[in-house]
Amino acid sequence: MDSKSIMINYTHRQAGHCESGATSNLYNFYGYQMSEPMAFGIGTGIYFSYLPFIKLMFAPMMSFRNLPNTVFHRSSKYLGVDATVIKKFSNVKDSMDALDRNLEKGIPTGVQVGVFNLTFFPPEYRQHYNMHNMVVYGKKGNLYHISDTVMEHPQTLTYDDLVRVRWAKGAFAPKGKMYWINKMPKELDIKKGVELGIKKSVYEMTKVPFWLVGIKGMRVMGKDIKKWPKKHGNQKASFYLGQILRMAEDFGTGGAGFRYIYGAFLKESGQKFENAVLLDAADLMGRTANKWREFTYIGARNCKNRSSQPEEDYNTLGDMMLEIAGMEEQVFKKIEKLKI
Amino acid sequence: MENPIENLDPVYKNKSYGQYREMLYSYDENGNFQQTVCYHGEPEKVVLEQAWDLFNERAEDAKQKVLAGKVSPIAYYMEKILADPLGLSMMAGVSLWKVKLHCRPFFFKRLGEKTLAKYAEAFNISVEQLKNPE
Repeated sequence: MDSKSIMINYTHRQAGHCESGATSNLYNFYGYQMSEPMAFGIGTGIYFSYLPFIKLMFAPMMSFRNLPNTVFHRSSKYLGVDATVIKKFSNVKDSMDALDRNLEKGIPTGVQVGVFNLTFFPPEYRQHYNMHNMVVYGKKGNLYHISDTVMEHPQTLTYDDLVRVRWAKGAFAPKGKMYWINKMPKELDIKKGVELGIKKSVYEMTKVPFWLVGIKGMRVMGKDIKKWPKKHGNQKASFYLGQILRMAEDFGTGGAGFRYIYGAFLKESGQKFENAVLLDAADLMGRTANKWREFTYIGARNCKNRSSQPEEDYNTLGDMMLEIAGMEEQVFKKIEKLKI
Repeated sequence: MENPIENLDPVYKNKSYGQYREMLYSYDENGNFQQTVCYHGEPEKVVLEQAWDLFNERAEDAKQKVLAGKVSPIAYYMEKILADPLGLSMMAGVSLWKVKLHCRPFFFKRLGEKTLAKYAEAFNISVEQLKNPE
C-alpha cells in the first residue's frame, strides 16, 4: 500500500438522515446548494412497510425509509445529474482498489456499510443494520477519512475496519456498493425534480397494490398493536412496541421516522415555488410528525415497566396509529394531483 | 431553513447513553421546522435499555446452557452477536438446517476445521476461542 496522502476539500455537515445528508453534501461539493430535506424529498426517501413475518432483532420488521441508495439514485436521475452507482463487487480487493482510484482522481465517494462493526458509531446503536451510508473523502497511509453525516465530526477508519463494514454480511448485505457524482449539469431543474419526486412518493405511500406497504401497512400495524398483549403477553408486546419506537426515533432518522424531514421538504419547495397547496400539506405533515412524537412518548411508558400491567392501553396506541395513518393519507391526497 | 440550534446540555451523563449528539427536527406552532443538535431524550433511553437488557439476558441464558452442556458454544456466540439462526447462516455461509444442528454439542464436536473457521470469522474470534468459550 502506498503511503501517499490524499485529502479532498470536502465539507462535513451534520444531518438527520445518513443517505440524504450524504447526497446533499455531495451536491454541495459540486457547487450546488441543496439542503438535506430537499435531497430527501426529491429522492423519495419517505416510505413505510410492515413485515411481521420477518423478525429483525427478535421483533417484527418495519421500515420508515426506502431501500438503501434510493435517495441518491432517484435524486440524480430526476435532476439529470451524471452519477455512477456500482451495485456490487465480486471481491474485496476490487472494491478497495476502485475506492482508491476514485480518491486519487479527487472524487468523494459514497459507500454503503453495515453498522455492527463500525468502530466510531455509538455502541448502543450497533445492531445488525446494513443500510448505513457514509462518504469517504481522504486517505493517509492506512487510514481513511470518513464523513458520516449522523456524527457530529468527521471520522477515520483503518483499511481493515473499512473492509469489514463494507463487506458486512446478513440481510441487505452491501457487498461493497459505492456511488459518486461524475458531472453536474449547468442548471438543475429543481421544479421537475420536485414534481417527479412527489409523484413517486404518492404512488409508494398510497397506491402500491400490496397490503403491507404505505398507509395500508400502517393500518395493519395499528390493528396488530391491539392484538399483541393477548397474543404474546405483556413483556413481548412491550418489546415489539419498543421496536417501532426504536425504528422511528433511531440514530439517523431526524425524529419521528423521517416525517419531519419530509415536512421540511414540502415547506421549502412550497416557499420556493410559492405554492399554497404544498405549504398546506407541509403544515399537516408537521402536525402528523408531532403526533408520531407523541406516540413515542406514550409508548415509551409501556416499555418502561415491561412485564407488569401496561400503563397505557394498547387499544389507545392502536387507535392512535390508525389516526396517524389517516392524517398521512390526507397529506398525500392533497399533493396527489399537484401542478407546480 | 435557519442554522441548527445547538443544545449542549447532556441529558444522561452515564457511560452507555448520551455520549453522542445527533440532529433532530421539530415543528412548532408557528409552522416552522427547526433543526436541533442535541443528546438523546428519555423515550430513546427507555427503549434502548429495554432492547439491550433483552439481548444481554439472552446471551447470559445461552452461557448457562453451554456450561450445563445443553447447547454448543455456537449458540452462545450467536446470541452475543445479536443474530438468530437465519442471520448467522447468512453471515457464516452455512445453511440454516446445519446451523441449527451445530447448536447441539453432539454435532459441534464433529465439526471440521473448515466449518469452524467459517463460524469463527463470522463471530470475529479465533477458532480456539470458539472451542473453549470463557
